[in-house]
Amino acid sequence: MRITILNGEPDPTSAFDAYQALLADRLQALGHTVEKLDLRALEIKGCSGCFGCWVKTPGECIKRDESATICRAAISSDLLLLASPMTMGFTTALLKRAADQMIPILHPYFVVEGGEIHHRARYAHYPKLGLLVGAGLDTDAEDIEIATAMWRRMARDMKSTLAFTAVADRAAEEMANEIALAA
Amino acid sequence: MKSLLLLNGSPRGERSNSMKMLSRVAEGWVRGGGAQPELLHIVRRGQFQRAVEAFAAADVVLLGMPLYTDAMPAIVMAYIEALAPRVAAARAGECNPTLAFLVQGGFPEAAHSRPLERYLAKLAVRLGAPYAGTIVRGGGEALQAMPEQANKKLWMRLTILGEQLARDGRFGPAELKAVAGIERFSRFGVLLASLACKVPAIQFYWDGMLKKNGARGQRFAAPYGPAFEE
Repeated sequence: MRITILNGEPDPTSAFDAYQALLADRLQALGHTVEKLDLRALEIKGCSGCFGCWVKTPGECIKRDESATICRAAISSDLLLLASPMTMGFTTALLKRAADQMIPILHPYFVVEGGEIHHRARYAHYPKLGLLVGAGLDTDAEDIEIATAMWRRMARDMKSTLAFTAVADRAAEEMANEIALAA
Repeated sequence: MKSLLLLNGSPRGERSNSMKMLSRVAEGWVRGGGAQPELLHIVRRGQFQRAVEAFAAADVVLLGMPLYTDAMPAIVMAYIEALAPRVAAARAGECNPTLAFLVQGGFPEAAHSRPLERYLAKLAVRLGAPYAGTIVRGGGEALQAMPEQANKKLWMRLTILGEQLARDGRFGPAELKAVAGIERFSRFGVLLASLACKVPAIQFYWDGMLKKNGARGQRFAAPYGPAFEE
């Protein structure tokens, strides 16, 4: 399985960052291909809602930044692992900035799916999504549930499903096994 | 007179659908006896900073935003992260302002925005702040395309909500329900919407812009992998 980790941790010295490195190693040891994208190191300008990626340069953001790296990695992956510490009850703004920049992988046309209006697919294949969070001191079960609900909707819009939400509270090896099973 | 910090969280800034809606709520706020609000567009760097600094001193903060990939836009999350010291302040016994929100989604149904609404309600709890409610409204992207007359009812409802906020310190549940419009499509609605999506005219909004930009021929471009085929 090809796995892309979108690392939304702003702090390179954090334990959660080290945990992801370990997890990537364990997943590789299980035979998966893993690419970890440290979002803090990528130049992502942020979506300004111009719809240029839909109506000017279809499929690509009109801004010259590194958001194309994320879109390309997503489309060529089987699992997109959204990794972020919980902050103020949700995943980070850094991770959200990457997610906002992913709309080029959809087509603007409207379709009805599951009884709701959504956008048409642009690609034949989309990755499954997984959510890996580092709980903060004030994170409670409700926060995880709400974050899961929002990312589940995002997955649905991305023609995919949220395969799991996992809290990074167990050994990386155990987590790697669980992720391989869930995805 | 109560003070209102009016925050526009749209990445489009001044010329956004969120701003259009927020200004109607602000109108109602003033009509209801509130002081002239301080308006800040948090997508502008200087105004973002001012919005962080001005937060604690306001009586009421109304933060409006479009729904971006089923949640708040990144700039709004960055603002919320910048409020982290206010969680500690509340725990130390300081007061935070009453929080009110407005979320407008592009799709017609309000249901898309409900998980975000839930998050915002919990944010108020986290900040130990009184929660005035969240205005949720679908079909926001269509606002600019519509003639002014077609939005009259919506503007009126938003003004009433602003009045309620100034007068009662919260949005009224009945008015919140009314302003939301379509919550979910009924079975019949799903059928109609499915048919409508098959009619080329319904995609005219996008096709028109694609044509104008000379990009209609490339509209199914798939630069990162095999294209979806119907």
